[in-house]
Amino acid sequence: MEQSRNSAPGALLSVRGITKAFSLNAVLKGIDLDVGSGDVVALIGGNGAGKSTLMKIIMGIYQPDGGELFVAGEKATLGSPTAALARGIYMVPQEPLLFPNMTVEENIVVGFSEKPAVLHRRLVELMEENGWELDLGRKASSLSIAEQQLVELLRGLLRNAQVLILDEPTSALTFDEVESLFKCVENLKSKGIGIIYITHRLAEVFEIATHVAIMRDGIITLSGPVGNFDRDMLVRGLLPPNMETQADKSINEEVSIDYTGLPPVFELQNYSGYGFSNVDLKVYPGEILGVAGVVGAGRTELATTIFGRDKVLGGKALLDGADITGLPTKKVLAAGINYVPEDRHLNGLFKISDVAANTTSGLLDQKELGKFFLNVKKEAEITQKYVDDFRIKITGQDQSTGSLSGGNQQKIVIGRALSTSPKLVILDEPTRGIDAAARGDVYNIIQQLRNHGVAVMLISSDMEEIVELSDRAVTVFQGRINGEFAKKDINQDNLMAAAFGVTGGKQVQQ
Amino acid sequence: MKHSPLDRFKKGVKSWETVLLGLLFAEFVIFGIANPKFLMPRVLLGSVNDIISICIISLFVTFVMITGGIDIQAGSIVGLSSIVIGVTWQDFGLNIWVAAILAMAVAALCGALSGFFVAYCGVQPMVVTLGGSFLYSGIALLVSNISATASYKGISGFPDNFTQIAKFKLFGVIPSQLLIFAALTVIAYLLLHKSKFGRKVFLVGVNARAAEYSGINSRFITLLTYVLSGVSASIAGIVLTAYLGTAKSDIGVTFTLPIITAVVLGGTLSTGGKGSVIGTALAALVIGVLRFGLPLSFKVSNQYLDIPVGLLLLVVVVGRSIAANPTLLRKLGIGKAKGQKNKA
Amino acid sequence: MNTLKKITKIREINSLFFLIALFAIVGMVNPAFLSPTTLFNCFNDSVVFTLLATGIAFVILTGEIDVSIGATLGLSAAISSSLLRDGSSWFIAVAAGLLSGVVVGLINGFGVSTLGIPSLIFTLGTNGVVRGMIYVYTGGAWVENLPANFTKLSQIKLFGNLTIFYLVVLLAVIAAHIALTHTRRGRYFIAVGDNAAGATLVGIPAKRTKIIAYVLCGVLASVAGIIYSSRIGFITPTAGNGYEMKAIAACVLGGISLSGGLGSLLGASIGAVIMSSVSRILVFLGFSSDYDNTITGILLITIVVIDALTQNRAATKSRHERLAARTGPAHAKKGGAAK
Repeated sequence: MEQSRNSAPGALLSVRGITKAFSLNAVLKGIDLDVGSGDVVALIGGNGAGKSTLMKIIMGIYQPDGGELFVAGEKATLGSPTAALARGIYMVPQEPLLFPNMTVEENIVVGFSEKPAVLHRRLVELMEENGWELDLGRKASSLSIAEQQLVELLRGLLRNAQVLILDEPTSALTFDEVESLFKCVENLKSKGIGIIYITHRLAEVFEIATHVAIMRDGIITLSGPVGNFDRDMLVRGLLPPNMETQADKSINEEVSIDYTGLPPVFELQNYSGYGFSNVDLKVYPGEILGVAGVVGAGRTELATTIFGRDKVLGGKALLDGADITGLPTKKVLAAGINYVPEDRHLNGLFKISDVAANTTSGLLDQKELGKFFLNVKKEAEITQKYVDDFRIKITGQDQSTGSLSGGNQQKIVIGRALSTSPKLVILDEPTRGIDAAARGDVYNIIQQLRNHGVAVMLISSDMEEIVELSDRAVTVFQGRINGEFAKKDINQDNLMAAAFGVTGGKQVQQ
Repeated sequence: MKHSPLDRFKKGVKSWETVLLGLLFAEFVIFGIANPKFLMPRVLLGSVNDIISICIISLFVTFVMITGGIDIQAGSIVGLSSIVIGVTWQDFGLNIWVAAILAMAVAALCGALSGFFVAYCGVQPMVVTLGGSFLYSGIALLVSNISATASYKGISGFPDNFTQIAKFKLFGVIPSQLLIFAALTVIAYLLLHKSKFGRKVFLVGVNARAAEYSGINSRFITLLTYVLSGVSASIAGIVLTAYLGTAKSDIGVTFTLPIITAVVLGGTLSTGGKGSVIGTALAALVIGVLRFGLPLSFKVSNQYLDIPVGLLLLVVVVGRSIAANPTLLRKLGIGKAKGQKNKA
Repeated sequence: MNTLKKITKIREINSLFFLIALFAIVGMVNPAFLSPTTLFNCFNDSVVFTLLATGIAFVILTGEIDVSIGATLGLSAAISSSLLRDGSSWFIAVAAGLLSGVVVGLINGFGVSTLGIPSLIFTLGTNGVVRGMIYVYTGGAWVENLPANFTKLSQIKLFGNLTIFYLVVLLAVIAAHIALTHTRRGRYFIAVGDNAAGATLVGIPAKRTKIIAYVLCGVLASVAGIIYSSRIGFITPTAGNGYEMKAIAACVLGGISLSGGLGSLLGASIGAVIMSSVSRILVFLGFSSDYDNTITGILLITIVVIDALTQNRAATKSRHERLAARTGPAHAKKGGAAK
């Protein structure tokens, strides 16, 4: 890796020695990065590694404390997004930031000074070139996430961007949409546009990137052409040194569950709702049922509908034989099901509230916490139990959860879900965005649960996770269950194939 | 582990109540020195009567603002309650206490209606309560037209045992209104900071979706805060009517802005999730004492009183903003040197 | 049919339809309402609110609020009127009035945009201070004895019935509307209100736009104050009290969303006409003016609830459609294999 303070020859974008700190928190500690013409630089890093800060500096939203930026070989100071845009740099954010009340076309051309007719023509040409179809007159609020990302891409292309930053572009896409995106990226590559591609998904790196850079804790630990690396090397680059790369295997005993004569604790019969249909499912006490599928398959919608957040369109849900179909969340909770939401920031955390309030929020209707007045002592006890059992790192129960790391935040949300002593716990992407150590802890927690006879439904897009933890697995494809696997048949190939709609998943006879 | 800015801010809010207490104390000192009459119990405690209504309502509007909403119809509900008591007592012969309870029920209904639109229809609180302020003051006027008495006159002649609730003095000095305020402060404090309901109110204000996922009925809780606010307005209306001895449909119409000022000054975030009953109570007293002390001790005429209150609000709010974000000062310094044009 | 659907999707057309329907219904009940004098007066008398509503519309479109415009109106009215009364030239009086609006607008813009203070709270504070300043400036006394040629200005009519004030204001609003919707810089306002973070990302100066919105609001409020002086003829220290709420109501009636990013200046001006016509309408319908507030309240709440419900329904519907699209072709019974 070059240590020179000059731009790499021919690079569209180079950064050298970028540092940035917020208050006393050093987020970037000296970053060097190059993006050449036609390169796709995959930037990988855990949460808190500093990726989004670096991108915001490149986009001119933040200014670096130290270091230099070079655009097309010239030193550049990007004092505002306008400056970055003028230099041909554009970022497609992870969450598209469109104007919901404007049309697609208005969204793309806002801020340009050319005549609207001229822009319209250029836009149509651009879309034809790439083979994209999108109704320019639609209101942005009606677009799917994939379509919104397309609009963001068009914004960048219409600005003749030379450097495009794609921030986790596939995190909300369906399989087809991901394929479309990859085609688009190849197209851009061939045009000589340089792309920084931020992702969590190692598989994508090998599929589409030309170079890879791993960020951890504000520095780049590994970088170079993608051909120089394999998956294990990448994973090692992500973990702090002296860390075991294997999770503690000893917990994962090869104990099979004896299903003979065991009645299921939870059952779905021909269950349909928005995003899924005709689902038949059984979950047994003391088992972990892995629910695999790509993003958008309908698993979260299934879970939230069970949990009472959305309307049931047909079928039945039974908990220990009792019909809980269509019950509101409060009653579903009381009956014995709890759910750890997919997006903890949006639906799980009370960020400005403290640890204790977050942990016990599910218990507020139970007698444990008092009849009318809140039993603060009991609350502290319950909170401490989870803090200790889950090894949650906090400065005190009064610390606000917004300041905790992702892993600790997730543990609190899991703790809350368990505090109501449910018979069935549904975990939706429980290890998304948390560091490896916390992930190990969460796996422990899940297995403890199972050992105590709780039924666990584990929804995850991480096939490895499903393989490692599940006793049985189902795959969901386009809203339906298309495969059921016994333990011996659970492996990444089977799951991956079924998740992408390739049938052949063997049916398991109960 | 380092304390994040959030933690520091939290501690800041807690000690904000100390700051308010300090402000109150400073007011006493300054006004007392300027005019010793200010400190005479008779005078000081007598002043309380003019401000208690705003203090009472502020306590419960705090609940509404913690859920991220706002209530600008409370002032109108005060007048509505007052005239309901007057008309039902005088023209319909209802027992005065029953009339008072009826007024509270009507107020609860008004609050519930607005709360329903906010919580279950997803309408913005500002607009709903704006419409409510027009509606309820309009209805109050119409109700007063039902009465034989002309509306501008107001209805008087209430029985003594009713007016006593506002005129009674404990130990001959402490006005009953102050006692009522103290009692309500205690109730509001227990409800918001010690009860499970209060915890739910906070959680709904911080993240209503996460509250739903925790099994809390966010929408119902939100509705209830508006009911509380409405009922508190009717209590203020009852007390004010008893104190003035007259029921009029337009009392309370100017209360809205002082109420919001008191709640915000008291440390409640208008974005929701944070607030304190004690803070609101202290802030309401600070404002009330300011409005009383300035005319008495510095001969400031009543019309100018909006300035110091407005300034106090601005100073506090700007100060809090800078304290929470120290880099702002640096930015301002740079911004001023280069001129405003580059501030994107 | 499609064109009809498209037209009704434009919010200001809906407000216009509502206005026309309202007038028509009242006309049916009491044909005297439809006399040219009465109808024109509905517009003429809305001139102050049209200015206020248009001004505050700029701010609301960017996603903020301003509750100090009533006080700004009063201050500008007091300053310009007292200057006129004391013999200043019109130019100086008007310039002074406008300047007061600019200053208030800058202060508000600074507090909300640069310091990041929630707009309701900050403008609440400035409202108090400005209200007090009116008393300081006038010493609590009324401003009277304005020059006759100034007050007569409000009576000058063109085309028989339309006051020149309203005509000028209407033209200005139309011009502003076109600037807002068709120029690059004009679109910034709505963009900032629709998605401030997104606006920054495409290079729109969000902070500066908000400051400009507040300054425009202050200026328009100060113009409203000058016109108000001409129409009423004297200024009390409480002039403009409560006008901010009516202006906000006018915007809502005109299809502007308080969360920003939706609505138009034309809509605001239509809403202003509706708001100020309410009492006149009630008179023609045989109701005493005592019903004003009640009817206004019912109107406001109904419109806002319907709007919220329809928006929510549309959002839920499109979400459900998207989800249903993900499940692929429907199978009536279970047991069908996936594709």
